[in-house]
Amino acid sequence: MGIPESVRVEPGSFRDPANRVFHAGAEVLRALDETAAADWRALAGTEFFPALMAAGRICRTEQVEPGGPLPESGRPWAAVLRHERIPFVAHPYEWSFSMLRDAALLHLEILRAALPAGFTTKDGSAYNLQWRGADPVFIDVGSFTPVRDGEPWAGYRQFCQTLLYPLLLQAHLGLDFQPLLRARVDGIEPEQMRRIFGGTRRLLPGVPTHVHLHGAMQRRNSGATTADVRSQLRAAGYSRELALATVRGLEKLVRRLDHRPGASHWADYQRTCGYTGQDRAAKEQFVATAVTGEPELVLDLGANDGRYARLAARHARYVVAVEQDPAVVDELYRALRAEREQRILPLVMDLADPSPGGGWRGVERAGFTPRAARADVTLALALVHHLAIGRNVPLPEVVDCLAGWCAPGGRLVVEFVDPADPMAARLLANKPDGLFPDYHRERFERLLAERGRVERRLELPSGTRTLYQVVVGG
Amino acid sequence: MHLAYLDAGSGSLIVQAVVGGVAGAAVAAKLYWRRLVARFRRQPTDHG
Repeated sequence: MGIPESVRVEPGSFRDPANRVFHAGAEVLRALDETAAADWRALAGTEFFPALMAAGRICRTEQVEPGGPLPESGRPWAAVLRHERIPFVAHPYEWSFSMLRDAALLHLEILRAALPAGFTTKDGSAYNLQWRGADPVFIDVGSFTPVRDGEPWAGYRQFCQTLLYPLLLQAHLGLDFQPLLRARVDGIEPEQMRRIFGGTRRLLPGVPTHVHLHGAMQRRNSGATTADVRSQLRAAGYSRELALATVRGLEKLVRRLDHRPGASHWADYQRTCGYTGQDRAAKEQFVATAVTGEPELVLDLGANDGRYARLAARHARYVVAVEQDPAVVDELYRALRAEREQRILPLVMDLADPSPGGGWRGVERAGFTPRAARADVTLALALVHHLAIGRNVPLPEVVDCLAGWCAPGGRLVVEFVDPADPMAARLLANKPDGLFPDYHRERFERLLAERGRVERRLELPSGTRTLYQVVVGG
Repeated sequence: MHLAYLDAGSGSLIVQAVVGGVAGAAVAAKLYWRRLVARFRRQPTDHG
């Protein structure tokens, strides 16, 4: 195997110095130091690991012989693994409640399978998980390490902060967890949770132990080192069976957590959005033609119930359906999960406030724009008026932004809703008269022509909506 | 020797014993009992 010239360090993989992820062309490689390589050999020889990998729970991984050296970080690499490529990396603050819950359950399932085989995971982060469509997959193969008897799970605190606590907040209090996880790469601290879950809330399932007791124990033991506590626990008889019991208890708790929000405005959008049957048929035909040719990646921005994402998935290899309303995304996810759909990934994101870069130097967790910039086709249907009128974004900026969420030479399929359209009129009614003099079709068409080549144009039968297919930069 | 790269948190380790059912609570109780005994055992040498 030859290492291509363009080896790039994955900026999110520096925390565990024993291994490091690199991107070499389209390949995802993981370099291991001597200890990590020994762990890998032991792991590959177990029964549970190949079984979980074959079942698709852990990303497909094989050891490879590098044809050239990978950049070192102070220690020589002893082995190199090649991972299956995840089609579109998504961060936990872009997932819906059920997605976070299924990701948490998968992490626990893997730990429950690993412990009897003498392995554990070094950490317990939500970032250990990614998606193949609506199917969660554990990606941090470097996290497996032999378990030492008498030691609790080192990843428990991280599991609480990035998985369990967000789930408790949403399930018990109906609080959207996404903004909290986006703001803090390490998740929500027990101390913050204790303040939120005061009064009678402290009795809700999982809260007395994993929140209050956990926080109190942290404060009382802040002077003790983890090495001391580990040896004290071992001496007191902490066993692997107890570690398993903890994992089973966490699984039971997470399974109990549920969140079914009431109907939101967007949840009913397809019925209330004012399309005629003729409009819809014409729009579907237009979109179907735009996504032919087996594009690698299609983005559906403002995906709502996923109607057009599903249509795109008939032709595309992978579709990312981005929608602002967490309840709508959750419903779409649950439907896709039930269908075992592995090519449509639903994500929660406000496109007027897309995910910025996060973590160390703002690059540890890539922002939405660099991830979206390789889309072969980008659908922006019934979206422009929400950004331009609903959020006051100047029309040229909207067009610039949409063109940037598409690869150069890629196709942008965009719908313009005339100010006379009932949906646009409803948005305009909330703003002072004359606030958007530039919001009209001729101006929009000029802006599109400045940024690409308009290949097709279709006015829908109702006369207030127009669809465009544009080759970006073409 | 495998060293965890992550600070697992001392309190986060102990609380896992407590949430591990009756047997786990017994381990936590034993840990605290030993800490208590160790404190009393140390005291005479402190003064003498």
